[in-house]
Amino acid sequence: MAFLEAERLSKTYVRRLKPTSGGPSRLWRRDTQRIFALQDVSFSVEKGELVGILGPNGAGKSTVVKLLTGILTPTEGVCHVDGRIPWQERREHVRHLGVVFGQRTQLWWDVPILDSFELLRDVYNLEPAAWKRRLDEMTDALDLGGFLRTPLRQLSLGQRMRAELCGSLLHEPALLFLDEPTIGLDAVSKLKLRSFLREENAARGTTILLTTHDMEDMLALCRRVLVLGHGRLLYDGALDALLRRYDTVHVLRCAYEGPCDLSGLPQGVALERDGDSYVLSFAPAEVETGKVLSWVLACGRLREMTLKEQNVDQLIARMYQEMSL
Amino acid sequence: MRYLYHAMRMQLKCAAQYRASFLMQSIAQCVMVGGDLLAVTVLMNRFRGLGHWSAEEILFFFGVMQLTFALCECFGRGISNFSYYIGGGEFDAMLLRPQPLLVQMIGNRLDARRLGGMLVGGAALAMACLRLRLHWTAGKALLLALASLGSFFLILGLFLIEATVSFFSVKSIEMVNVLTYGGRQACQYPVDIYPRPLRLLFTWVAPFALCMHLPVSVILDKPLMDVPIWQVYAAPLAGFAFFAVMALVWRRVGVTHYRSTGS
Repeated sequence: MAFLEAERLSKTYVRRLKPTSGGPSRLWRRDTQRIFALQDVSFSVEKGELVGILGPNGAGKSTVVKLLTGILTPTEGVCHVDGRIPWQERREHVRHLGVVFGQRTQLWWDVPILDSFELLRDVYNLEPAAWKRRLDEMTDALDLGGFLRTPLRQLSLGQRMRAELCGSLLHEPALLFLDEPTIGLDAVSKLKLRSFLREENAARGTTILLTTHDMEDMLALCRRVLVLGHGRLLYDGALDALLRRYDTVHVLRCAYEGPCDLSGLPQGVALERDGDSYVLSFAPAEVETGKVLSWVLACGRLREMTLKEQNVDQLIARMYQEMSL
Repeated sequence: MRYLYHAMRMQLKCAAQYRASFLMQSIAQCVMVGGDLLAVTVLMNRFRGLGHWSAEEILFFFGVMQLTFALCECFGRGISNFSYYIGGGEFDAMLLRPQPLLVQMIGNRLDARRLGGMLVGGAALAMACLRLRLHWTAGKALLLALASLGSFFLILGLFLIEATVSFFSVKSIEMVNVLTYGGRQACQYPVDIYPRPLRLLFTWVAPFALCMHLPVSVILDKPLMDVPIWQVYAAPLAGFAFFAVMALVWRRVGVTHYRSTGS
């Protein structure tokens, strides 16, 4: 059995609606609506994998995370993490689990972060020596030394995120969940965080599951992604294969010196004017890139030209659209 | 255990960050419980007692109740304010930690401001003792400790009812407050001043009579019920039993409901 295995996980919520019509019976009538947060989701993750979970808001990402961490029980289906069912063996399961929420702190707000780490030592019943060793290691890797004795509330967002990460890894979990870990971070902090995660994954074989809206995170960290939409698993496989499948548009931007003659536009190429430059978009599968290039060169004296693949965020937007999310 | 101790120390540290606010609120607690004390004193001055209980004996009951309740609010605040855990997502975070949930609830909140209430309760108790010129024995001291401890767990059990309800509806907390604060107000007087239905309620449902009134009445040498002395010592166990049942209900009904429905 794989390290993490989800089998046909489904989660249905019953939401009680406020009746809007119907006289006094509104007082006791109960209208309900079933919401399928997750339907029939199966996948497995091997030890040491780094997997991204992708999907628009409301796709079921956090439901998956809550099921796998044992916060919720599924309506149907089962999952095993390291042979354990999260919601049945909660304490044993979470002992080997680290979770970081980008939007919510798990450390104590008013005290120096070192105090939080000391309390975590007792929360997880860690050996003081092992704890100290691990803390020193993380302090170096995450550059926490300068603010170990500063209360959490006085830290910047980037510092706070690093502190959170340290807090969630002190007990050396086998599985780490990251829920939008780079949200709101500046470029430098993001880069540091990513390289730290790669390092942690490579050095300790920590299995990492990551949800994010930041495609750069995905590209930097994950070879494999799961795409969720409307509570279903729509794609499970390599990230670059996914991108290739939807990377169907190239954009060519060119500007001319002097007059140019743009007649005879090849079929399948769309032309737009943007200031003094022209923007051509086309699908390389339909129109040969070379053909477009030679046409562009024939049009006049070319001053400059750039050829770009579509921006990853646009790709994802397109993918969601195509999967009708 | 080490975790619980450490977590509580952490709470004190957090509270110490806001010293002025902490001081003011402690004083406010003093004044609030002091007001109650004043009311009881004034009433007792006017009526010279209640039933066959003298003013000093009533004060003794009052002291035991206030002291115990303040202790409950100090250590059990995480239980009595459980709805905040759910609203703020803190309960999710608790589910992610490998410590028993109830221990975490208690450890995550320590309300040291209740020291004010404890002081006033203790003062009332001391005052009553002095005026009554009670003859203390080791047995009586043990009985007082048992009565306090039993009532302590009984009140935590009442808090747990609130906590269970807050899994289902945050709005109905006020209704359940009747149980806890109503119970405190009613049971700071010995149970035999009440009509039969209330007596039954406070003996067999929320057993304040067994946990507190019976042992205290023996301390005051006016036994409420004619029962063998070992039963008086055993009576506060009802508080532990009440707590155990409510903890089970909280877990089986509340937590199970939460995990199957989300928040």
